[in-house]
Amino acid sequence: MTGRKVLTGFEITADSHTLAGYRARGGYEALAKALKTMQPRDVTQEIVDSGIQGRGGAAFPAGRKWQGIDPHDGQPHYLIANADEGEPGTFKDRWVLEHDPHALLESMLLGSYALGVRHAFVYIRGEYDRPWRRLDAAVEEAYAEGLFGENILGSGFSCDLFVFRGAGAYVCGEASSLLGSIEGTRAWPRNRPPRMTVRGLYQAPTVVNNVETIASMAWIIRNGAQAFREIGTEKSPGTRLISISGHIRYPGVYEVELGYSWTKFLHEDCGGLLCNKPLKAVIPGGISSQVMTGMDAKVLTPGEVEGMTLDHEVLRAAGSSLGSGGMIVIAEGTCMVRLLQIMLRFYRHESCGQCTPCREGTGWMHRIIDRIVAGEGRPEDIGTLYHIARFNDGTTICGLGDAAGYAATAMLDNFRDEFDYYIEHGHSKFGGNLECQ
Amino acid sequence: MKHLIPEFERLKTRLPPGHDATLLLPCLRRIQEDQGYIADGDIEGLVEYLGVPRIQIEEVLSFYGMLRRAPIGRWHLQVCHNVSCSMRGAERLLDHLSGRLGIQPGETTPDRRFTLSTVECLGACGTAPVVMVNEAYHENLDPAGLDALLERLD
Amino acid sequence: MPVIFINGEAVDTGEHPTVLQAALANGFYVPHFCWHPELSVVGNCRVCLVEQEGRGVNIACNMPVVDGMRIETDSETVRAQRKAMLQFILLNHPVDCGICDKAGECTLQDYHYAYNGEPALSREPKLKGTKFYPLSSRILLDNERCILCSRCVRFTREVSKSNVLGIEYRGDSALVRPAEDRTLDDDPYSDNVIDICPVGALLSRSFLHQARVWYLEPTPSVCPRCARGCTVQLWHRKPEWQLKTLDPSHNTRILRVTPLENPRVNGPWICNRGRDLGEVLERPRAEQALQKGAGVTMMEAIEATRALIAESTRRIALVSSWASNEELRAFQNALGDRFTSFVKPDQLPEEGEVVEDELLIRADKNPNTRAAQDLFGSEAPEIREDADLILVWGEGVDFAQLPRGAKIVFLGSWLLPEVGHADVFIPLSIQTERRGHYTNFEGVVSAFEPCQPRPEGVIDAETLFPLLAAPGGARGRA
Ligand SMILES: Cc1cc2nc3c(=O)[nH]c(=O)nc-3n(C[C@H](O)[C@H](O)[C@H](O)COP(=O)(O)O)c2cc1C
Ligand code: SF4
Ligand code: SF4
Ligand code: SF4
Ligand code: FES
Ligand code: FES
Repeated sequence: MTGRKVLTGFEITADSHTLAGYRARGGYEALAKALKTMQPRDVTQEIVDSGIQGRGGAAFPAGRKWQGIDPHDGQPHYLIANADEGEPGTFKDRWVLEHDPHALLESMLLGSYALGVRHAFVYIRGEYDRPWRRLDAAVEEAYAEGLFGENILGSGFSCDLFVFRGAGAYVCGEASSLLGSIEGTRAWPRNRPPRMTVRGLYQAPTVVNNVETIASMAWIIRNGAQAFREIGTEKSPGTRLISISGHIRYPGVYEVELGYSWTKFLHEDCGGLLCNKPLKAVIPGGISSQVMTGMDAKVLTPGEVEGMTLDHEVLRAAGSSLGSGGMIVIAEGTCMVRLLQIMLRFYRHESCGQCTPCREGTGWMHRIIDRIVAGEGRPEDIGTLYHIARFNDGTTICGLGDAAGYAATAMLDNFRDEFDYYIEHGHSKFGGNLECQ
Repeated sequence: MKHLIPEFERLKTRLPPGHDATLLLPCLRRIQEDQGYIADGDIEGLVEYLGVPRIQIEEVLSFYGMLRRAPIGRWHLQVCHNVSCSMRGAERLLDHLSGRLGIQPGETTPDRRFTLSTVECLGACGTAPVVMVNEAYHENLDPAGLDALLERLD
Repeated sequence: MPVIFINGEAVDTGEHPTVLQAALANGFYVPHFCWHPELSVVGNCRVCLVEQEGRGVNIACNMPVVDGMRIETDSETVRAQRKAMLQFILLNHPVDCGICDKAGECTLQDYHYAYNGEPALSREPKLKGTKFYPLSSRILLDNERCILCSRCVRFTREVSKSNVLGIEYRGDSALVRPAEDRTLDDDPYSDNVIDICPVGALLSRSFLHQARVWYLEPTPSVCPRCARGCTVQLWHRKPEWQLKTLDPSHNTRILRVTPLENPRVNGPWICNRGRDLGEVLERPRAEQALQKGAGVTMMEAIEATRALIAESTRRIALVSSWASNEELRAFQNALGDRFTSFVKPDQLPEEGEVVEDELLIRADKNPNTRAAQDLFGSEAPEIREDADLILVWGEGVDFAQLPRGAKIVFLGSWLLPEVGHADVFIPLSIQTERRGHYTNFEGVVSAFEPCQPRPEGVIDAETLFPLLAAPGGARGRA
């Protein structure tokens, strides 16, 4: 077992995702409690006190983001749940949408109440069909029971929810790009300032949070910030949904209490590696988080890895992050050059093309690695890749450009010999192998 | 497209007023669902219905991978070839499909039964490799499973 | 007013909201492609990076000034990043400056020399793009040269509001395109995008490969094609670069017209008709004085006119609304009391032309109606049937509508049929052959300068009028 639960602590049955199923485990009690006994600011305060950090990638304190909005300033405000989930290796929000959509909806209502939101949105990635059906059905159930619409539960609070479906663009997961998508324009990320809590959707103050971040709110309001803080570590309270895939025996979504032992998680809970191979590397939180080597880490000493726990601080100290919680396990014998090729193809394909370094840099890196894989690499390619990565860092409008660079740097830093080998011999040190055989 | 307008109007009830352009993507998706692709006439219809400039619709159409402006095969086979799927055999799957259907990604079989595409991570990495057939995900596939699946698609 | 420190110097930022604007206004040059003072801030080119003490590098065009902030525009980090941005921009840029009309006034060339200057780091073949994509009957697009700064797109969205252009697709496949059922011919201001394009991606068909810009120089002028009176620059060959072997008219032709930025009148824009001044200015000229269609000397024509004035009693003048302030005053001083004067339009809207809009274009298609009316009133011409002399100054008058019994003196510049129908015709110089001023519809006075030689047989109206009025005969005075 991976520690205490906030989101997954119920048994999945034929109707556990329905309103009835959700009510049976105390669902919508938090909403009733908040509408009856709490002021909007009290709800925000509770979130602040819980210390919950964003689960979408950047681990920004959610309460602090919410405090950026004054619910009573007379302007319209918007709350958007980010269900675009496109980060490779990540499929945890899908779990919430399919198995506990009402936790998200109740939390959206709580957030809307706290932030003075009349119209809320869920932005769900275009390819998600079953998750969308589940969510859509839940929304209709909630509307039918008066949980959305006018004068909810007789409180005078009104709120509508629109489920907005994307259409196949990873960059729309970036919060400001998502706004453009909803506004019906080209979904180009926006420069900050202004922050979205100042000028977001339709130029109005807006909060965008990840599905998992928001879905945890109902639990926090129901059980109190203190109860939440008791879970996890002091600096990283709560749990994370980790979606694990790659060369691992039991891939899937696990709710892991922050601070849980990583080694234990991999080798006990997830059954260890496929084909009983030794671990070569782990991408801890989606490919946009930096790849880390496993047991023979260059980033970490072996001793540190042994005792390493899954929490934001530890990973940050190690130069990576829990990111989106999309963990990819890579076994010994895998060709890292080919893996990087796939990643760089992805970034090039998904770059929105707006800003110079990312538009040009992602394509440039991809063409270099394609050439290396084709056996036509040149020794100076390594330096050029580093150069491109370095100048995508901090010079772009959104994080996509930086991430593409991080992917390249991390792979080169840790597996330089494989790249050198590939370039020198014109073929992979591991036969171009990606699968675990 | 005109017959869908009552549906579009219903969507408006849950949106803040005065932001009709928000319906652009939902309308495009719905039109494509209805007839398989978005035709020129639909774009003109939306210019009129939503009051957005045509160039904006063209920009949006070309931005998203799922939207298309011409019909494709009856079954759209989209093979995820991102990291986790590739680590679980996606490339073999793609080769197998390509060989069996005699087409490359991006192409449609002459009988217009199948269109083959590659896509980036579909959010099903734990059940990799995954092939999306029209809207549905088919997970944990291997070549044999894929063959069985193809048999079921007319 | 917030004070910030740029490269250690205290700078009063005045009304400037961003670091880029404050820096530019105070003599600290920060390179920029996508930022344009008249367009929204998009911050996509990333060459305006500056370093803020304590906060690292960020783009200056989107950085609000905060009192006391310390900015470095030329630190080592900034220099390295700028260089890298230029390497990115040049990655797929064809660098075909040798055949590019923008060469010589290309921001990318300038920045390359100022901030990069190094050979390409990339060994990859350049991606191909469309060359000479027709955007309209006037403009071609070279997608290979385009750096996707989106200025042209924002122009059609925010300024001209034609909404013709957009950027389609994403990543390194992104490209500028017009809406499928539109062209830039729908935009009466389209040619401004050629000017604001920082590179040679938008090309004027009429100027295409006509001249290297460093052989040209501009003369300030005023567009005469509507009452806005936009200030423009007329581009022609420099005197020191005259062509000796070709037709000499190549040396004086106006090769292109661009806006002369003027916050009080037209800002940085002009309309396409202003670009096409050749249409009106380069019509065949009348260079010969005539009497009843037969050639006479200028002196004979002046003499004849003086005689007609002396013989007549009910004289009417139809004053040109294309004449300069100086010419109008000369007429008023010399002949004002001998004529009942009316101001008439020289030019009327043409078929298919935008008559009036909210940006620049005015319904009155003449440059100096306002000054003419200030002197001669704004009543519509009322020509008495018993008029015995009519002075027609400038074009736009149908002689068939004039009273049968009246003698007609016609002062004009172009070879029009009326020239031969007048009792006396005197050819006048045009605005590119003399200096002067026009007063636009809002009362703003703008100057124009000569850039072409005055043909042999023509006279400046300012010189002519005193001669027509002089007592004792023109010949005696001349
Ligand atoms: C390229 C890119 C893609 C992103 N995709 C997602 C996504 O799919 N889901 C998500 O929640 N956040 C995504 N983010 C992060 C969002 O911008 C935003 O920070 C997040 O939704 C905020 O939620 P949180 O504070 O609850 O984590 C992405 C960011 C970038 C730069
Ligand atoms: S970093 Fe890439 S994805 Fe983000 S805005 Fe720039 S070009 Fe677009
Ligand atoms: S746009 Fe500038 S850099 Fe490019 S070819 Fe033309 S002159 Fe040269
Ligand atoms: S054509 Fe010129 S103005 Fe338009 S985006 Fe390209 S570089 Fe910028
Ligand atoms: S990699 Fe294929 S679904 Fe994620
Ligand atoms: S001028 Fe600032 S980013 Fe282009």
